[in-house]
Amino acid sequence: MLGMMYCSKMAATSTGRALSLCRQFQKSLSISTALPLQHTNVLTSCKAQLSTFRPKFCLLHINNVGTSLAQQCRALHASQWRRGLEEFFDETPNWGEPTVKSGAPWTAKQLRTKSSEDLHKLWYVLLKEKNMLLTVEQEAKRQRVQMPSPERLKKIERSMKRLDTIVQERENALRLLQTGQERARPGTWRKDFLGRTFWYRFKEYPIPWYLNRRYKRKRFFTQIFVDSFIRLRIESHLHSKILKKKADLENKRKLQEKFSRLSART
Amino acid sequence: MARRVIYPLYQLGNPQLRIFRTNFFMTLVKPGKEQPPDTVQFRIPMEMTKCDVKNYLEKIYSVPVGAVRTRIQYCTNKKRNHLSQRVKRPDYKVAYVQLAQQQTFQFPEIFPQKDTAYEPGSVEEMQDQFMQDEQQRQKADPRRGGVTEWFGL
Repeated sequence: MLGMMYCSKMAATSTGRALSLCRQFQKSLSISTALPLQHTNVLTSCKAQLSTFRPKFCLLHINNVGTSLAQQCRALHASQWRRGLEEFFDETPNWGEPTVKSGAPWTAKQLRTKSSEDLHKLWYVLLKEKNMLLTVEQEAKRQRVQMPSPERLKKIERSMKRLDTIVQERENALRLLQTGQERARPGTWRKDFLGRTFWYRFKEYPIPWYLNRRYKRKRFFTQIFVDSFIRLRIESHLHSKILKKKADLENKRKLQEKFSRLSART
Repeated sequence: MARRVIYPLYQLGNPQLRIFRTNFFMTLVKPGKEQPPDTVQFRIPMEMTKCDVKNYLEKIYSVPVGAVRTRIQYCTNKKRNHLSQRVKRPDYKVAYVQLAQQQTFQFPEIFPQKDTAYEPGSVEEMQDQFMQDEQQRQKADPRRGGVTEWFGL
């Protein structure tokens, strides 16, 4: 009943896991020679090696800048990917280690170069990695031991946030071009009963507003007796602005005095 | 589906709602009580349903799912902080997933005890040696044959 889009199982590979975090490769191509990304006839050797080889460092290399993420990973797609529930846990050599190495998170600049298809796949790679980290975290809390490298969670969260930002940017641009609408969710400026102006965002209802009892109890207008209080509010707002300005000037003057005195001494 | 998203209203004849890039994260947990061998226990967000769990595992992890049962765990609001304000521990939903195709799952030992050999003369080795000596000192005299200190002599 509730459908979910998921492109391919490619995202589940161990290389996908390395790709998710590692953006700047730290070692030379010596590690990657076991899994060359550009040749398709390496599939046979890949399948044997994928089960044993656990790349820890980044596989996104400078020589693959021209090819997209999808093309690179298509070359080593292993149809024998049957890990299933094992993907909720880290790779077996990492169990019991005090620290696990991981690369830098994805930056917005790097993500903007990727196609929408690649971003979609990357989202699910990051999702699986986060599930794994949450599992490890919960188990560590249960066993009362320290979780190895908890900073990985933060990195994943930041990467996902940035990915979301870029997808939103693209959606905004598309919508502006196609319809001219600046916002996805319609809204309007309204005054509440205290005289404050705010951006009211519309909500979808199955019935019109004049039949909605709870909505009619909300008052989006200000009555005349509130005017004096609005005036007081404006006055206090202006007063606080003036005070802030004065405080800034005072601070500046003090610093000037302090450092001019120092420079005079030397 | 996703968390903290307003779903559009559904009326008969509307197209199937599709949410790309789901926001749900599932945590596999070790069951506190003994579960049957084909049951896997997860902590899931409150907004997730049984159908969501089934689709999630089948599509993203390609795990054959038989049945899913969920319950909501209420966590205490009784604890108080240093300002004697009540602090709520967040509630969570637990899903018990039974695998199809007669598959079994056993929660593994993620933090096995690794016996690391310390290099001679290092700080860790001395600390370890000290702890072992302390434990030896705390142990009762084996000549007493398990009789406690309470009995004199």
